[in-house]
Amino acid sequence: MTKVPLRYRIPWRKILVSALALVFAAYLVLPFYWIVAMSFMTEADANSLPPRWIPEHPTLENYRAFADPTAAQALVGSRAVKETPFALGNSLLVATLTALLNLLLAVFAAYSFSRIRFRGSRVLLMLYLVTRMVPGVAIIVPFYLLMRQLDLLDTYWALILSYTTFALPVTIWVLKDFFRAVPRELEDAARVDRCGWLRTMWSVVLPISAPGLVAAAVFSFMTAWNEFMFALFLTSTTAAKTMPVIAANFATDLNTQFTVMAASGVLAVLPPLVLVLIFQRLIVSGMAAGSVKG
Amino acid sequence: MSRRPWSDTARGYAMNAPALLALLLLVAYPIGYSFWVSLHRDNLAQPSVRKFIGLDNYLSLVDDPAFLRSLAVSALFVLTVVGATVLLGLAMALVLNETFFGRGVLRSLVLLPWAMPGVVNGLMWRTVFDAKTGALNGLLTDLGWIEEYQAWLSSATGAFLLTAFAQVWNTLPFAVIILLAGLSTIPGELYDAATVDRAGPWQRFREVTLPWLLHPLLIVLILETMNAFRAFDTIYVLTGGGPGDATGTVALLTVQRVLGYTDVGLGSAYAWVITLITMVISVGYVGLLYRRGSFEV
Repeated sequence: MTKVPLRYRIPWRKILVSALALVFAAYLVLPFYWIVAMSFMTEADANSLPPRWIPEHPTLENYRAFADPTAAQALVGSRAVKETPFALGNSLLVATLTALLNLLLAVFAAYSFSRIRFRGSRVLLMLYLVTRMVPGVAIIVPFYLLMRQLDLLDTYWALILSYTTFALPVTIWVLKDFFRAVPRELEDAARVDRCGWLRTMWSVVLPISAPGLVAAAVFSFMTAWNEFMFALFLTSTTAAKTMPVIAANFATDLNTQFTVMAASGVLAVLPPLVLVLIFQRLIVSGMAAGSVKG
Repeated sequence: MSRRPWSDTARGYAMNAPALLALLLLVAYPIGYSFWVSLHRDNLAQPSVRKFIGLDNYLSLVDDPAFLRSLAVSALFVLTVVGATVLLGLAMALVLNETFFGRGVLRSLVLLPWAMPGVVNGLMWRTVFDAKTGALNGLLTDLGWIEEYQAWLSSATGAFLLTAFAQVWNTLPFAVIILLAGLSTIPGELYDAATVDRAGPWQRFREVTLPWLLHPLLIVLILETMNAFRAFDTIYVLTGGGPGDATGTVALLTVQRVLGYTDVGLGSAYAWVITLITMVISVGYVGLLYRRGSFEV
């Protein structure tokens, strides 16, 4: 590279960075914009050639279809359209309960790693991590059989229990780091006041590590909301089908109207997206802390 | 007494009991049982022919062309996706580490694909790649790069590359955040020193940035490899493994075997092979981390 005299130097670096930033922004947003735009289009607009980027006759029909389908919409994706409101409710319930159950189970384990030095604690911590590495396909069949034995097929519990196995190790790892950051002096002070460890945890440690609890809860909520394979195997009716199962039905049904399918996609991505935007900072720090430190 | 009295150990395990019990019942038991099932001829559609056959299911995999083919597809898929994710993620993290107008907005935008369920990701790219009304065709004809609309997903190579592309979009945020966190821990003095030594941008990247990023890069490699290897939902919705078997990964084939043919014995054998491969890869990666002395619990 030839050296430009100092005074006339063009800020190449700044230009390059800004240009790349623009390209990246387009890459991240355009595909998502596309289904959002489609979800507000009439069928004619969506099928026009060349494709329209902006809905010419913006409409809420596609969303209204889920509550009250017109004859045509009821025909194209009849079952999926009808099942969407139930699936939304199921997803919400399953994800929330998964998040709560995970916190409840993980809090004690994580606290033990942050405050007690005990034999085999490192091995135990690694063990949790290893269970996370087992791919879902490896346990789906026996899990199905187990749930059948327990008579839990097509219920919330089948899903909540399976999602707990995915989320629990992560929850423990995230919480352990947050608990370690709580100053020991605060706990010692509580102990001087004759609080037992349970009381100390409840009234000192948990309130201080509230951001960690929230981050962990958001993680498990999203895991449960996004999961598809187990939901596909373990549910069969509106009693427990979740949003990803419905969205997949739309995608694999050849008759589906693209606009209604786009609307269902937007509905399925909305809750996790809102959570991510609200808790952005917590999620990033929780994720980064857990992995960069090892 | 040692520094760690037994009463502490007992307390430690008591506090881990609920989580351990849950994982034992919900992971350990299914895994053990799944191995047992994989040693049987067991088809849910024909309950009467259930029979212990030892390793026959595994032996049949060795010369099952469909299975071997899906392993090859998976390997290629993992290489493509992980390679692209690391390169693109690194580029994005480096850009986000600079100061520029709108950096905060871009940092939020990076998280967008992460919030997207795999199924919705597949569904979204399906409408984008659609042969008749897709955005990709529209964009490329608008730009004058193609003459007529292409059926992208109906050629083997096209379907494979676009599926990998969709997968990369979905998993990229994770890589960016980890790498960005790593970048932010690099002390500025190192760059100052390098500048004094008249190191160019490329040299500074090679001598300062990369060595510091080794650990986060390894983490990204591990987790993205696992992710790509078990990728299922995006592929299921986007191509369903087709055309032919061009995008039929091992994970997809396993699910189809179990779901479609209700052959749980053979399906469990598939699953066990997947588990073993995952374990080998992760042990290899963790070993690498250990040898670098950077793995702490």
